[in-house]
Amino acid sequence: MRDLFVEIAESVRRNKLRTALTGFAVSWGIFMLIVLLGAGNGLMNSFVQGGGGFATNSVSVGGGWTSKPYDGLKQGRRIRLDDGDVATTGGELFVDNVELVSATVGTNATVCYGKKSISGYIDGIYPAAQMMEKREMLAGRFINDKDIADSRKVVVIPESTAQGLLESGESAIGLLGKYVKVGDLAFRVVGIAKSDRMRNSRDLYAPFTTVKTVYGKGQEVGSITFTTKGLDTEKDNEEFEKNYKSVINLRHRAAPDDERAIWVWNRAHQDVQMKQGRNILSTALWIIGLFTLLGGIVGVSNIMLITVKERTHEFGVRKAIGASPWSITKLIISESVAITAFFGYIGMFLGMLTCEVLDKTLGQAKMSIMDEEIAMLVNPGVGLDVALEATLVLIVAGTLAGFFPARKAAGVRPIEALRAE
Amino acid sequence: MLIELKDVNKTYNNGQPLHVLKGINLGIDSGEFVSIMGASGSGKSTLLNILGILDNYDTGEYHIDGRLIKNLSEKQAAAYRNKMIGFIFQSFNLIGFKTAVENVELPLFYQGVNRRKRHELAMQYLDRLGLAGWAGHYPNEMSGGQKQRVAIARALITNPKIILADEPTGALDSKTSEEVMQLLGELNRQDKVTIIVVTHESGVANCTDKIVHIKDGVIGRIEDNREHHSSMFGTQTIMK
Repeated sequence: MRDLFVEIAESVRRNKLRTALTGFAVSWGIFMLIVLLGAGNGLMNSFVQGGGGFATNSVSVGGGWTSKPYDGLKQGRRIRLDDGDVATTGGELFVDNVELVSATVGTNATVCYGKKSISGYIDGIYPAAQMMEKREMLAGRFINDKDIADSRKVVVIPESTAQGLLESGESAIGLLGKYVKVGDLAFRVVGIAKSDRMRNSRDLYAPFTTVKTVYGKGQEVGSITFTTKGLDTEKDNEEFEKNYKSVINLRHRAAPDDERAIWVWNRAHQDVQMKQGRNILSTALWIIGLFTLLGGIVGVSNIMLITVKERTHEFGVRKAIGASPWSITKLIISESVAITAFFGYIGMFLGMLTCEVLDKTLGQAKMSIMDEEIAMLVNPGVGLDVALEATLVLIVAGTLAGFFPARKAAGVRPIEALRAE
Repeated sequence: MLIELKDVNKTYNNGQPLHVLKGINLGIDSGEFVSIMGASGSGKSTLLNILGILDNYDTGEYHIDGRLIKNLSEKQAAAYRNKMIGFIFQSFNLIGFKTAVENVELPLFYQGVNRRKRHELAMQYLDRLGLAGWAGHYPNEMSGGQKQRVAIARALITNPKIILADEPTGALDSKTSEEVMQLLGELNRQDKVTIIVVTHESGVANCTDKIVHIKDGVIGRIEDNREHHSSMFGTQTIMK
């Protein structure tokens, strides 16, 4: 092994400039591949961050209007979800596919603290909503089961709303444990949630049962949100939705195939599309990167051919004194792989460095879309998997580049070669 | 018999077929110092290539030490060349970017001998040929005679059955030529190495114990030259 490296080093040392120039093309190819993939990842991360306030396996359901007559009732009838729908969703019927169920019921309310007041929307929710909506807590806790059971008058306030109730300069956490007035009633603040700009920051969270009792909503439910399980494919999701709609529709005496009686928003579809988009983007970037690399590979193949031509006599001598064809093949392919890998890693290193620079510059830049600020690139860069794949590409590419020159070298007949001088 | 050729024929088919060797029969014993002499075009180079397993022959049989050398794969041929034959060439054919000692080591490298051992052995052989001080030098830093001695060390290092020398003095001046031939003679006498020299110079052939004359692809006279009176260096032949 060491002898092989010595031989490669000797050969490269004799052709430094030539090797460096060709190596540059390989470096460039890998550099482009890494930067493209890194930037592509950053872009996709930014999309995901922009679109993802919810667990990807969550389904939201709300009431709608019937679009066809059924069971003696005319079309255009308003459907309102109720407690029965929540029970059905979480019941025996869908036990295989439904995991956690949460329902909301809400109303507009004025929230006061001291002299300050804001108009907000009080959302009655279940504890499961925290996970489904990916709510992160800044301080305190989220609504829990005990709050639901006892219909406690507690509230979770997003940081930005809390800020609105405080004097400027005060920390939102200061509101924790205090009482705020929601309408005419005092609610205790048990948690401050992190705000993000993608969601309505006017939302306050209170236990579902509290809101229902206090505001006299009766059986009515605003929307139902639940997480699904065991729905792995697009087809599974569609079938489940169809089944679910027909069951809920029938509960409200609407046609089972009525598409508009209730609306169902399944984020799994979005997720699948996102994944497809990501795959298409990364495939396209790989192709562009590989084609850029191809130029470098052809270059390496070319100098290996020249090397073989120059060393024909030497290979003849080697064969005459006992070198097997394989030992010559090995020498050329190893040299090719060594050149490709060495310059490839330089390119990979520079590419990763560039991704870091992108992260520090463009990664910090925000775009404003519809009053929401979105980072252009979020965590650009490639993972270890891409680095490993690129290594594999380099080795394969180096072998391919060396293959034909090596075959030519191994085929050198010693008598011809010895005559060559 | 160490080397046995039986009715060996060789035809080159480059456009017009050229029958180069027309039934060669030759036996060489272990420990002999033989020269094969002939003019250019006589077929002596072809014969040398066949003896050195560098080329194939069409019909007949070629045995080295009782082993038939025919239709070998490239790999086998390389292995046989490595173990049984040492080559000395007219133009030395040392590898330019390797030092003297590395050149001498090379055949052992292809035998898979480890670094330290082959370096040790190579140094021994260089020392024997009076080149120990030149071990670290590259071929282009050495004189023709020194280069040929490095080549001889390289040929000897695998302890081969046969040394094949193709015009070993062709690129040397007459004084150095004589020295090289004397060296080969010594190796033959002291170490009982079988040496076959191919040449067109009678002066070179005269240094050997047996001269095989080849002409137009057939072996003519086989001269016993143990007295070395055939023709002296520089006489009857135009030397450089």
